[in-house]
Amino acid sequence: MIELQNVCKSFEGREVLKHISITFETGKTNLIIGLSGSGKTVLLKSIIGLHNIDSGKIFYDSREFSSMNSLQKKEIRQEMGMVFQAGALFDSLTVEQNVMFPLEMFTNFSQKERKERADFCLNRVNLSKNAYSLFPSEISGGMQKRTAIARAIVLNPKYLFCDEPNSGLDPQTSIVIDSLIYELTAEFHITTIINTHDMNSVLEIGDKILFIYKGEKSWEGSKNEILTAENSYIEEFLFASSLMKKIKNRF
Amino acid sequence: MNVFFHLGRYYLLMAKVFSKPEKTKLFFRQFFREVDNLGIGSLGIVAIISVFMGAVITLQTAYNVTNPLVPSYLFGITTRDSMILEFSSTVVGLILAGKVGSNIASEIGTMRISEQIDALEIMGINSANYLILPKITAAMFINPFLNVMSMFVGIFGGYVACVATNAVTPAAYVEGLLFQFNSFYVTYSVIKTVIFAFLITSISSYNGYFTNGGALEVGKASTKAVVYSSVLILLFNVILTQLLLS
Ligand SMILES: Nc1ncnc2c1ncn2[C@@H]1O[C@H](COP(=O)(O)OP(=O)(O)O)[C@@H](O)[C@H]1O
Ligand SMILES: [Mg+2]
Repeated sequence: MIELQNVCKSFEGREVLKHISITFETGKTNLIIGLSGSGKTVLLKSIIGLHNIDSGKIFYDSREFSSMNSLQKKEIRQEMGMVFQAGALFDSLTVEQNVMFPLEMFTNFSQKERKERADFCLNRVNLSKNAYSLFPSEISGGMQKRTAIARAIVLNPKYLFCDEPNSGLDPQTSIVIDSLIYELTAEFHITTIINTHDMNSVLEIGDKILFIYKGEKSWEGSKNEILTAENSYIEEFLFASSLMKKIKNRF
Repeated sequence: MNVFFHLGRYYLLMAKVFSKPEKTKLFFRQFFREVDNLGIGSLGIVAIISVFMGAVITLQTAYNVTNPLVPSYLFGITTRDSMILEFSSTVVGLILAGKVGSNIASEIGTMRISEQIDALEIMGINSANYLILPKITAAMFINPFLNVMSMFVGIFGGYVACVATNAVTPAAYVEGLLFQFNSFYVTYSVIKTVIFAFLITSISSYNGYFTNGGALEVGKASTKAVVYSSVLILLFNVILTQLLLS
């Protein structure tokens, strides 16, 4: 469980996050949704401490993260995994080495054990074996995302963060990646937070949804409630496309 | 005021860089990778430039000094001392600032904009230490070898020029090489090289590390890296010469 209390963040006097309070639950996929530029990435990076927040509190299972020193933060970070928007794979390492990297850094596994664990994770995200020895620049966007997910889960994280895991993917691959994250979350009982503006994801995997509008929490709920939410900003966001408008009219 | 901002941020970055690596084994792996990449990878260009510079210094001196009273061993001395004192340290430093500096700044800058540095940080890794320390230490370790190699290759280039043109007789050239050799000049050159290696790698890493934006900014960072490290090499060249040779 990750809890936010009144989180505020500004850059050079410009408020990007305004008093955000919410609880993200364990074993569920929690979504942060909103228009581009609404502050999703800043919120996610504030939660994991890549940005320092101006005020407010962040708790990881009742441990207050926001007031920890860097050594304590470092400890908690080993329980986190993150999938970055563009994958952020290390381009000097092969796919398999990328996944083995956190193990090399933080465990005393032998080379054989590391390889076994990495291959287990790569297999779990359905990456084909002949990609293991390729470099990130040599594989497709979908494969890069899978590798990034494998790397994020290799240390058995309690918390998983994904910044727009579907961006740049075709709709079919998007669904595969979404359901992969969804399954992993339930299977390993992870607290997962995903940034997205993909409507499919919202309706498929949104166990819990936080909608932010211009840096403010505008709505929270689940995928079952969102279509009937009485919030004009959400309606604008959800039914931006004419296809969605048609679907809405059928309800 | 901008200068103070950069100096402060540079200092803080260096404080992060010079801490104990997470895993010593991984540090050494990176270290040897950088020795290969930054050092061995520069052997070719340093050798080529040195051999030609040695040759041209010898020929220039020979053709410009026509006074018959000048002893013939002067040409060997000139090539030897120019190579050792300035060329193999300062000029090679400037060349490496161009080659290594832009390489480092664009590599680290790309890692920054593609969020690879964030990925390291979120894993709980001190990214500055992991990425930059091996580069700085590798260059400080390997560049003195490039420096000494440049001296030998340059002096050899002068010899080849003598043999090829007979502008100076090879025997006179060799006599000059051995005339009143001051071995402290080599020490001086090596000290300068080590300091220049630190300047090049740390300044370029700094420029890369604080890139933000996109490909355009990575390009700018790498230009800045080359310009600033070159200027600081020239500045420190004067300071060190005053300190070491006065
Ligand atoms: N490092 C930064 N410095 C200044 N402003 C920033 C920074 N990062 C993001 N912003 C601003 O914060 C706002 C929210 O950005 P972001 O969180 O990236 O939006 P998105 O919801 O698309 O992920 C944007 O207006 C952006 O310009
Ligand atoms: Mg974003």
